[in-house]
Amino acid sequence: MAERVFITGIGMISAIGSNVMENLRSLRLQQTGLGYTKFIDTIHRNTLPVAEVPQSTPELAAMAGMEGTAGYTRTALLGLVAMQESLQSAGIADATALPAAFINASTVGGMCDTEQVYFDILDPSKEGTFLQFIDTLDCADCTQRIADAVGINEYVATISTACSSSANALMYGARMIRQGLVQRAVCGGTEALTRFTMNGFNSLKNIDKQFCRPFDQHRNGLNLGEGAAYLVLESESLVRERGARVLAELSGWCNTNEAFHPTAPSPEGDGAYGAMKNALAMSGRSAEDVQYVNVHGTATLNNDASEGKALERLFGGNVPKFSSTKPFTGHTLAAAGAIEAIYAVLSIDQQMIFPNLNFSEKMEELNIVPETQLLEEYPVRNVISNSFGFGGNNASLVISKYEG
Amino acid sequence: MKGRFYIQGTAAISPQESFSGEFTPQLLTLADKNLLRVKEPDYRAFIAPNSLRRMSRVLKMGLTTAIRCLQNSGVAVPDAIITGTGKGSLHDTERFLHDIRRYSETALNPTPFIQSTYNSVNGLVALQVQCTEYNNTFVHRGFSFEHALLDAMMLLSEGRAGNVLAGAFDEMSDEYFYIRSRIGSWKEQLTQPEEMFTAGTPGALSGEGSAFFVLSSTPSDVHIAGLKMLYKPSQERVHETLEAFLRQHGLQPSDIGLLISGRSGDTNFDHYYHALTAQYFPQTPEVPFKQLCGEYDTAASFALWLAVERMRKEELRHVLIYNQFFGEQHTFILLGR
Repeated sequence: MAERVFITGIGMISAIGSNVMENLRSLRLQQTGLGYTKFIDTIHRNTLPVAEVPQSTPELAAMAGMEGTAGYTRTALLGLVAMQESLQSAGIADATALPAAFINASTVGGMCDTEQVYFDILDPSKEGTFLQFIDTLDCADCTQRIADAVGINEYVATISTACSSSANALMYGARMIRQGLVQRAVCGGTEALTRFTMNGFNSLKNIDKQFCRPFDQHRNGLNLGEGAAYLVLESESLVRERGARVLAELSGWCNTNEAFHPTAPSPEGDGAYGAMKNALAMSGRSAEDVQYVNVHGTATLNNDASEGKALERLFGGNVPKFSSTKPFTGHTLAAAGAIEAIYAVLSIDQQMIFPNLNFSEKMEELNIVPETQLLEEYPVRNVISNSFGFGGNNASLVISKYEG
Repeated sequence: MKGRFYIQGTAAISPQESFSGEFTPQLLTLADKNLLRVKEPDYRAFIAPNSLRRMSRVLKMGLTTAIRCLQNSGVAVPDAIITGTGKGSLHDTERFLHDIRRYSETALNPTPFIQSTYNSVNGLVALQVQCTEYNNTFVHRGFSFEHALLDAMMLLSEGRAGNVLAGAFDEMSDEYFYIRSRIGSWKEQLTQPEEMFTAGTPGALSGEGSAFFVLSSTPSDVHIAGLKMLYKPSQERVHETLEAFLRQHGLQPSDIGLLISGRSGDTNFDHYYHALTAQYFPQTPEVPFKQLCGEYDTAASFALWLAVERMRKEELRHVLIYNQFFGEQHTFILLGR
């Protein structure tokens, strides 16, 4: 019998806070992180809203204890800040004491820094400190920087499945624990805003010039965000052995592919439906046991229509409370799955449902509307967290209250 | 993780004539730079013309290898698609970076952005064979392919899949070749594959390739018996790990009939191979493979393809692959029959 997998630590940074408590406070106060970029050199700086982490890269380096060290990209530093909090939260003073896995997620690695020096790197007449960013071109750089800083080395991996990347990182780490490869896996993702991704999504006409409006009839696209989040996953036996505090159980997961279109989901939400249904089945819970769905809810025309259809198919006339927290954090791509998994943990821990901001009118193709109020003292025991992405990659997680 | 993970079929596009027909290793003659380019097959037999026109190089290469591997395995639709790639579509990433500059962030064509996404090959394979099940992409340098294999092995062990398509792909662009040359990844002087082990110079010969495998629990002639990854280890830790790894599988070094090693002639890193063979495999036949495919993040996928080729032709009970990527990611893959 494979072991249960528990969440024993959480750490994060996003546009609405540089740690878990600050994120929770902003969620409760309904304070959005959306605004305009201070740091990206782009012609879209005053027209495309983003949810940018307010700290500059040198400020992040100071927070991460890496002041004055060279070669750390913003992606790596965001990740390191979140990693340090997650270990602290789990009561792990020395991450090297036990063989552990670090499963990270990234969509464009250190692009935030490399895009600034890329054409210098290509110019043979130029020499300089920018050469230290050559290796940051790929996704593994940030993972290794973070792993090296905290000393996790038994398994080190990076996953890139677009917007579902960190949900897949959580699944992969949980499965390694169930296989007995490790007893502990720190899983999540990190994403920094870049000119590259802003122009990418803008060229796809997927970005709303207003603050994003998930599940609204007049939604018109997503807003990008940045941040990082990690969850410490541990086996039941390790939890007992070291008397760790359990925040929640990662009780179910599923990864499916739509096989429909490179950048669009199927209209009936087949992939989303399959991912949620199978994740729930794995968790041993039924549809009635779910009190909250933290939807992917990017506010693109396609995603919300297809995800909404999938919710109606799975839950019939009894769709539980659901909301997208992307109007708070923006769409943080590779970090989104982990950021929202932490919000799911908070929802259970605080018995709270977070509002879907910027909603005003029901979508004509759906019979359901998201929760727009902050609900407190709401009995939340099981949460589904969805992450869907390009390439048809869908991932759903079930996070459950720890009941011994 | 214990178990037997049988290889049902393989396919590879590489700098060798590996895609079709009988494989005979050949040493290439390089004309202008230390780069072994793949021999691209005719993609039209595998990809519809309207798709083919839009697809960039590594997408065609990855998709075609995957489809061919399924054909060679007699599997129409796999139960999972898992890939590893260190760098994804370099051409698309570069093109989008250049477009942003050239067109000052206006009126950009989204195709290179979409195709630069690391999971785009996976998505295309899923779309073409209509596989709606498990789908994952690892992007971690010299561990990318190995994690794809580990994921496949776990799926089989969980009983969640019958046939898993696992593979890897990486391309080298002129631009990225130049970038890596600025930090000394490649040999400076033009060096032919036949002289790479005797040149005694730092740097490797660059390469590229794509290789896919169908793994299942149904017995076939070759299986993966074990896989071990080591991150930034000392020489001592490589040795301790090898000993423990073989012991775990009830083997002695002398039980290994063939060692396939990733030595590249790079004087910065080849000492790992020298020390390992001197201590454990002094009498064991050793076959290096990077003179055939060059160095790249997922070169171990070519080594696995080569190992299967050899095991199908020769009476080899146990074959061990040892590879490391610029000293950071070290991996052992143990094969049995």
